[in-house]
Amino acid sequence: MKEILPPLYAGTVTKYVFVESYKATPDDIAARGYEVSGGVMIKETCFGLQVTGPEEEVERVVAHIRALDPAHIYVKDRGFPPGDPRRCRANLGGARPGYFGHEYEMGFIRRIAVGIEKLDDSSEPAAEKTKKKGSDGLCVERLMELIDQEA
Amino acid sequence: MTGETVRIAQLSCGPEYSGVQKEIYTAAEAVGAEVFFPDLSLADIRRNFKDFGLDVRSGDLKLAIARAVALVQGVAEADGVFIASCFRCAEAAIVRNELRRYIHEHSRLPVVSYSFTERTTSGTLLTRMEALTTIARRRALLARERQTGLTMGVDSGSSTTKAVIMQDNEIIGTGWRPTTEVLQSADDVIVLALEEAGVKREDLDAIGTTGYGRFLIGEHAKADLIQEELTVNSKGAVFLADCQHGSSTVIDIGGMDNKAISVLDGIPGTFTMGGICAGASGRFLEMTAKRLGVDITELGPLAMKGMGEDVPMNSYCIVFGTQSLVNALAEGHSKEDVAAAACHSVAEQVFEQQLQEIDIKEPVVMVGGTSLIQGLVRAMGNLLQTEIVVPHHSQYIGSVGAALLASGYVEKN
Amino acid sequence: MAEVFIYPATSLILSDLVARFGHKPLGTALSIRERVQTAGLDSPPLQMTPDDAKKGLRWAAVEVPSGVRGRMSLFGPLLDRAEAAIIVNNPDFAFGCMGCARTDELVEFLVKQKEIPVLELDYPADEEEGIIFVRKVRDFLKGLAGAA
Repeated sequence: MKEILPPLYAGTVTKYVFVESYKATPDDIAARGYEVSGGVMIKETCFGLQVTGPEEEVERVVAHIRALDPAHIYVKDRGFPPGDPRRCRANLGGARPGYFGHEYEMGFIRRIAVGIEKLDDSSEPAAEKTKKKGSDGLCVERLMELIDQEA
Repeated sequence: MTGETVRIAQLSCGPEYSGVQKEIYTAAEAVGAEVFFPDLSLADIRRNFKDFGLDVRSGDLKLAIARAVALVQGVAEADGVFIASCFRCAEAAIVRNELRRYIHEHSRLPVVSYSFTERTTSGTLLTRMEALTTIARRRALLARERQTGLTMGVDSGSSTTKAVIMQDNEIIGTGWRPTTEVLQSADDVIVLALEEAGVKREDLDAIGTTGYGRFLIGEHAKADLIQEELTVNSKGAVFLADCQHGSSTVIDIGGMDNKAISVLDGIPGTFTMGGICAGASGRFLEMTAKRLGVDITELGPLAMKGMGEDVPMNSYCIVFGTQSLVNALAEGHSKEDVAAAACHSVAEQVFEQQLQEIDIKEPVVMVGGTSLIQGLVRAMGNLLQTEIVVPHHSQYIGSVGAALLASGYVEKN
Repeated sequence: MAEVFIYPATSLILSDLVARFGHKPLGTALSIRERVQTAGLDSPPLQMTPDDAKKGLRWAAVEVPSGVRGRMSLFGPLLDRAEAAIIVNNPDFAFGCMGCARTDELVEFLVKQKEIPVLELDYPADEEEGIIFVRKVRDFLKGLAGAA
C-alpha cells in the first residue's frame, strides 16, 4: 500500500450486474454484454459482471444485458473500479464488507424475482399480507436456508 | 526488523471511516508486518456470531466477533491480533474488551486493543505493532530465562535514561540520568554503568536497547538487539520478580505513558499502552513533589504518612489535577494527605482507564521509576486488593530486560 | 426522475428496484466513488481521511465517535439530495458503510425528519411477501414527481 494510486478510470461509473437465473449464467450475460460493449469494460466475476465506463454507455450495456432475463438480473452501483487493489480480496486477506451484504440479499433474491415476475399492469395497490397468528413450526423457506447454511 | 512477514489479523469497526486505516497499514508495514482481515462466508459469520453470544447490533462488530471466533478455532491463521474501534463507542468497547479476553483465554495469539480517533497516527500505533511482531518473531528469544556472558541494556525513556551491565545473571553496574539530549544521556549512563561494573565497553559481549530512543541509540551503540519496551519490560519484570513461569501482570507508570501488560511465561499476552492524559502519569507526581517543595524521592514516604481520602483529587488532566492540589493546600490539608491523594489519583486513573483493558492476574509487579514511590504502590495495591510486588532494581526494568535478552546474541558474537 | 435515498444504503435489491422503475438510487457507492476518483488522496482503502470525520460534525457532535462522523460524511450529502427514501427496517446483516448501528439509527432518524415521501418495508420472508414488496416499491416510485 506504499504508492499513491492515481484515480483509476476517473469520470467513469462501475455497476455490478448480478445474475440468479436458470436461463443465464455469468458467462451468458458477459457474452450478451460484449455484443454491445463498445468502449465499455466488462469484467466477469463469480456472481455476474462488473461494467465500467461512461455512465450513459454503462446504462445502455446494462439495459441490454438485463433484457435477457429481466426478473433475474440485478444491477447496483459500485464505488470502486474492478480489480482495485484497495478492495481486492487477495490484498485484504478476506472479502470486503460489502460482499457479505450482497451474499445476504442474494440469499433471498428469488423472492424479489417472483415479485418482479408477478408485477402486472394493474394499478391496484399492493395488498397487505395477513400475518399468520403464531407459528406451528419452521416454514419451508427457512428450513431450506438452514440447510444451505450447513452445507 | 528481519524475518518473514508477520501476519496480523485486524478485528475492527470504524477505522476506514475515521480515515485511520492507512495509519494502521503504515505502522504494520514499518515493523515488517501485514494486516489482513480473516476470510469468512456469511454462513460462518452468522454461526460464529450466534455461538459467541454477545448480541450487538452493529454489523461490523458482528463481523469482528465472527472473525475472532475463526481465529481461536484455527479456521483463520494469524501471528497476532489487532483489535480496534472508535473511541467513545460503548457498544464497540464492550466487544473490544470481550474479544481481547476471549482470544487471550482461548489461544496463544498476542492481542493488542486500541480505541482510535480521527487523530490517531501510525506513530502512536508503532510500538504496539512492533510488540505484536516481536512476540511472533522472537518467541524463542523471549523464552530466555537466564542472562549469560557480559551484556549491557540501555533504556531511553521519555523522562530518564538508564543503563545496566549484567554478568552471569547478576546486575554488576547501573547508571541513571534524566533524558535530555538522547544520545548524550545514553553515553552518560553507559559510562556510569561501566564504571560501577568495573569493565570496559569493548569487553561487552552484546548490547540491547529499548525505550523511545531505542533506534537512535541502538544504531549509535551498534546494538545487537533493538526492541520495544512492552516485551522487554515484561521480560525484565518477571526476571527480577522471579515469576518467569505462569501468569503475572506488569504495571509501568511512566513519565509519558503507562504500560499495563498481562504476561504468561514471560511473554505479553495482552497489553495496553499510553492513552491517558498527564494526570495519570509520573509527570503529575513530579509536579506534586515540586509544588509540595520536596524531592520526588521524598514523595513516597510522605504519602505513606498521609490519608488521601479526605482530599478531593481525581483527574486524568494534569491541569485540573494541579488545580485540586492547589485548592487542597489552600484549604489547609497537610502535605502528607495531599501527597497520598496525588498517588491515589494517579493509581485510580490507571486502574479505571487502562487496567480494565487487560486481565489482572497475580502477582502484580510494578516497575519503572514510579514504583519507587511507595504511596503510589500502596494506592494501586488498595485498588487491586492485592500485595503489589516491586522487585529490586525496578527502575532499571527496561535495561535489565534488554541486557537479559541481548545475551541471546552472546554466542553468535 | 427523482433521487431516492435507499436504506440499507448498500442494498442491491433497493438500488436495482429504484433504477428499474426509472429513478436514481442514492446509495453510499456514489459517495465512495467520489472519493476514489479524487486525485491526490492517499488514504486507502476508501480514500476517506480524518477530514471526513470533521465534515461529519455537521450531523453529529464532536463527542460522537469518529466512525459515526466519518460515515455521516458519506450519508449526509445523499440525504441533502434525497427527494424520497425507501427504508428497509432492521436489516439483519449489513456491513461496511452500514456496519455501525449508531450511524444507522441517526441516518434513519434524519431521513424521517426530512419532509420527503418515505416508504418503510421489511425484507420479504417468503415469495408472497416478495410480491408485495416489489409492488409497494413500484407503487411508491410511481407516485413520485418525475416518475416515468
